[in-house]
Amino acid sequence: MKAIAKCKNFFKTLSEKLKALPKKLSARFAGAKEILSQGNGKVTASMAVMGLGQLLYRQWAKGAMFLFVQIAFVTYFILTGATDLFGFFTLGTREGNAWYGVEGDNSVVMLIMGILAIFMIVLYIAIYIANVKDAYRIQCAVDTLKEPAAFREEAGALLDKSFHKTALALPVIGVCVFSILPIVFMILIAFTNYGDTIVPPALVSWVGLENFRKILTLGQFAPTFFKIFGWNMLWAVMSTALNYLAGLGLALLLNKACVKGKAIWRAFPILAYAIPGFITLLGFKFMFSYGGPINYYIQQGGGEAVGFLGLDAKWSARFIGLGVNAWISIPSTMLLATGILSNVNTDLYEAARVDGASAWKQFIKITLPYVLFATTPVLITQFIGNFNNFGIFYFLRDGLNIDGYFLASDTDLLINWLYRMSIDNNYYSIGAAISLVIFIITSVISLAVYVLSPSYKQEETFR
Amino acid sequence: MNQAKMKVAKAKTQKVLNILITYCILVVVAFVFFFPCMWLVLASFSKSGSIYSFDGFFPAEYGFDAFRTLFTDTVMYDYPKWFLNTLFIASMSCIIGTVLTILTAYCMSRFRFKSRKAMMKTTLVLGMFPSFMGTIAVYLMMTQFNLINQHWGLILIYSAQAPMGYMVQKGFFDTIPYSIDEAARIDGASNFTVFVKFILPLSKPILVYTALTAFTWPWSDFILPKMLLIDKNLYTVAVGLMSLGETEFARFAAGSIFIAIPIIVLYFCLVKYMINGMAAGAVKE
Repeated sequence: MKAIAKCKNFFKTLSEKLKALPKKLSARFAGAKEILSQGNGKVTASMAVMGLGQLLYRQWAKGAMFLFVQIAFVTYFILTGATDLFGFFTLGTREGNAWYGVEGDNSVVMLIMGILAIFMIVLYIAIYIANVKDAYRIQCAVDTLKEPAAFREEAGALLDKSFHKTALALPVIGVCVFSILPIVFMILIAFTNYGDTIVPPALVSWVGLENFRKILTLGQFAPTFFKIFGWNMLWAVMSTALNYLAGLGLALLLNKACVKGKAIWRAFPILAYAIPGFITLLGFKFMFSYGGPINYYIQQGGGEAVGFLGLDAKWSARFIGLGVNAWISIPSTMLLATGILSNVNTDLYEAARVDGASAWKQFIKITLPYVLFATTPVLITQFIGNFNNFGIFYFLRDGLNIDGYFLASDTDLLINWLYRMSIDNNYYSIGAAISLVIFIITSVISLAVYVLSPSYKQEETFR
Repeated sequence: MNQAKMKVAKAKTQKVLNILITYCILVVVAFVFFFPCMWLVLASFSKSGSIYSFDGFFPAEYGFDAFRTLFTDTVMYDYPKWFLNTLFIASMSCIIGTVLTILTAYCMSRFRFKSRKAMMKTTLVLGMFPSFMGTIAVYLMMTQFNLINQHWGLILIYSAQAPMGYMVQKGFFDTIPYSIDEAARIDGASNFTVFVKFILPLSKPILVYTALTAFTWPWSDFILPKMLLIDKNLYTVAVGLMSLGETEFARFAAGSIFIAIPIIVLYFCLVKYMINGMAAGAVKE
């Protein structure tokens, strides 16, 4: 009941925010209106040609910089920008033909360059607005008979008042180019027919929601998708619960007063944590392989060698994956929980003991709520991490095709399937559509958990 | 009288039992975590390389052959070269990535600017996309920029994506009291000076944590190098070791030990910082 109330509350605040939106927007445009009505000729000059107003106010360095941006952008737009932008919509019109020596359009490159062109235009508009605002600010300063800020002062402010602009410039550009641009690209690919036989030099075109329809209905993809999805959910829930509880348990165990030599006991899980994941995974693959030690002992005992990770090893492979994943991830949960447990107020336990609470009661009433509160964000990240756990089954059981599955095995998660489809087999657009589905699922789940968690309500109280 | 004695005795046995069980579990846990590591170490000292010649977990004969071939037999598998490649990529990405992450986290923690909330939400949403969903696009972009088959391409990607995980660091900076900033600002220090002279010396734990995570990621990543490096000479250790089969098991084990040792040493030296950094970030995230 409480959960439902919380959900209702969340949507209520959401609708309130939506209602307040027009007001917020109009407040934002009020500034623009003011500039348009109050700005003098020099501000208008800046609107026409960036930097002109600044130059008229004798702000040489700044004006020259704005002017340079204007010239650079116009040059870029005429040289490649306009064609790139156009290409974004057509995705190429001329098909290449090596036979006749015709160099055709590469649709995929055109798509990326098109996105880049849109990024550039947005950036240009942002600088343009900054330019007009700056001109208006100078006008206001001059009108009130104040000296407008000198260029050197403003440059100095980049290390002081607007230090954040300087510091954030590089990270933001990096994230835009290497995180956001690729993701935008993949989202767009999900709505094209790129892949299979349609790869450059063949021309790619926009197909709308066709790929999603294929995943959900086409006999080739649909059964595999639902089977893998079911296992993926089960895997994510089981592995997250296992790692979380075991890690927490281990931390509590090491936190006990009676344990001597804590540092030494803690060293073993940390050893496991420190070993790079691919080594652990390859090592365990060797351990369970046909010629590996486990099978050696089975054969010594008179049994047949078992293909733990072989073709028809559905559940044994799944359990091995679960175990190996636990081996890798429990130590980090343990370290995290150890850190959090050291922050719990010990007075609470003292008080509880005086009141006669048992150790179990203390754990349920004090430790667990605190740890749960502190680790909810981490729990969500871990859930998503496990949902998209690529490494485990990629190393343990790569490249198997199992009956009833299309280009996948019965241990593969959606992310493994996506990889097989797009990187190994060229089904790019279907792969992109799958990754969009994964994204929607994970974001809905994590958002729901986050809204229901105690950390959400009291976020600001910890400031 | 007697009853009270029995009660005390009962409590005592319970306590002993409690300790006994605790230690039993601890021994089992230690064994579970330690055994596979020991197995790999033993395997690296096996005389014949193939996994088929092992007696279960233990090599039939011991020797240093695997280490010798690892460093001398470089025709097929040039391990020393792979190692240097990995070291170069990981250190460069670590330096650049740490600087970018710390700057981002500090700004997000201390400055209140217009697009701050929007940026925080964007990174939260972006973090939910499957991490290599964009790898195909990255691959195509790298071909456009001519950075395929080059180490700097990898370094660029690793360091550019590092600031996405600024949340833990931001949580840490949130715990440093504002009064430090204010006092310094009253004394006439600029924001830049405050950051370099006052905040950075206080944030050693989180610096160490950030550098460590920024180092281990490229050190043990295999997806990107496998896709972007074609030349065998440019391979990182992760990609190289993946190409070893069951008959080269000893060589794999020896190679793994060399790649794991630096990380293990780093972790043990810095485990205190790690715990503090993680906990600080988790509570405030």
